[in-house]
Amino acid sequence: MIPQIEIDKNKCATPYECKKCLQICPQAVFAVAPTKVERFKETAPEDYEVQAVFKDKCVLCMDCVKVCPTGAIKVKVGSS
Amino acid sequence: MCELCEKYGDNGGRWYLNPENYARPLYKKVEKGKEKEPMILTELQGPFYYKPLIELKDNPEAFEKMREGYSKFHETMGGQVVSLEDAKKMVEIAQPIARMDCICRRITRATLEDGEQRPRTCLGLGVGMFRWEEWPERYKGGVEFLSTEEAKEHIEHWHKRGMVITIMTFGTPYIGGICLCDYPDCLAIRMRLDYGIKPMLLKGHQVAKVNYEECTGCGTCVQRCQFGAIKMEVTTKKSNIDMTRCFGCGVCTYACPQDAISLIDREKLPGLKEEW
Ligand code: SF4
Ligand code: SF4
Ligand code: SF4
Ligand code: SF4
Ligand code: SF4
Repeated sequence: MIPQIEIDKNKCATPYECKKCLQICPQAVFAVAPTKVERFKETAPEDYEVQAVFKDKCVLCMDCVKVCPTGAIKVKVGSS
Repeated sequence: MCELCEKYGDNGGRWYLNPENYARPLYKKVEKGKEKEPMILTELQGPFYYKPLIELKDNPEAFEKMREGYSKFHETMGGQVVSLEDAKKMVEIAQPIARMDCICRRITRATLEDGEQRPRTCLGLGVGMFRWEEWPERYKGGVEFLSTEEAKEHIEHWHKRGMVITIMTFGTPYIGGICLCDYPDCLAIRMRLDYGIKPMLLKGHQVAKVNYEECTGCGTCVQRCQFGAIKMEVTTKKSNIDMTRCFGCGVCTYACPQDAISLIDREKLPGLKEEW
């Protein structure tokens, strides 16, 4: 079963700056990207979002849950 | 011959050495620069779009069906592994060449190659690079234009440190960049190896072979392969390259202190010549 990974966007305000889950995950499950792009302007840190993408690779080690300073990540064994 | 060479090669030559594939036609003028924005956003959000496919990993039939759709899309935007030798020929054709931040690593590990602590790896090609300042988010950290010689040194430096050299197209066959990639932070390698999206990264025109007489079994090459193609055969004390898994990147050939690995032309091996 593919694990369920949820990230609470309200708790994770500036993921590109925090980046703790992205860098600790042994399976490189996460991805971070801007939610908008403008001409002649860099995207503000608040307009980024982190998502769990490669969930099939997650081994449920819980490193991301432990490292997240805001308690934004929930990881559970998948159900069908 | 690989499919891209068949379609876009110059008289049977390798497609990426055909100068025409560097001259992307600048079709219609972009109205007030509006249309480009969603494309850049799509590119930067790349992996988010694979979530529906990955969710189906437990359901082989549905996965396979959706995978075909993704593969079809990547026929217009993908790449291929190239050897150091070929990459050096490419930078003689392509102008201008700009060193820029690697977008994959920014997405997967939130790292920015700022040019000081983490020297940049990616090379953007073509006149489009002159307009980089229009999209500072896409070209975060700025770009740096390189001469042909500097580009060769750049590629060689990273390749010898273990990076795979790949080409990326934007609207195949137009070549937009030369990348220096590794697993798992490179999305192209990852989508090909883990999810079978073939046109995202075709194998290269060569393939590596070990000369058993020269190999001392030191194991250096085993750690270097980004494609998991090399194993140490404990009993024979030689490294073994599975040539059906090898992408022909050449990283192992530079890692071997005995010079025991050579790259040979894929097309000379009947068993591999259709294997891309
Ligand atoms: S539980 Fe472990 S493997 Fe799964 S996403 Fe978190 S850090 Fe990665
Ligand atoms: S560790 Fe937590 S707060 Fe930091 S980027 Fe990840 S989800 Fe957001
Ligand atoms: S293809 Fe390779 S170098 Fe290019 S952006 Fe991706 S990882 Fe970076
Ligand atoms: S065996 Fe060598 S040439 Fe083949 S993919 Fe691995 S490192 Fe590259
Ligand atoms: S690096 Fe060379 S000598 Fe060492 S195991 Fe590999 S092929 Fe053999």
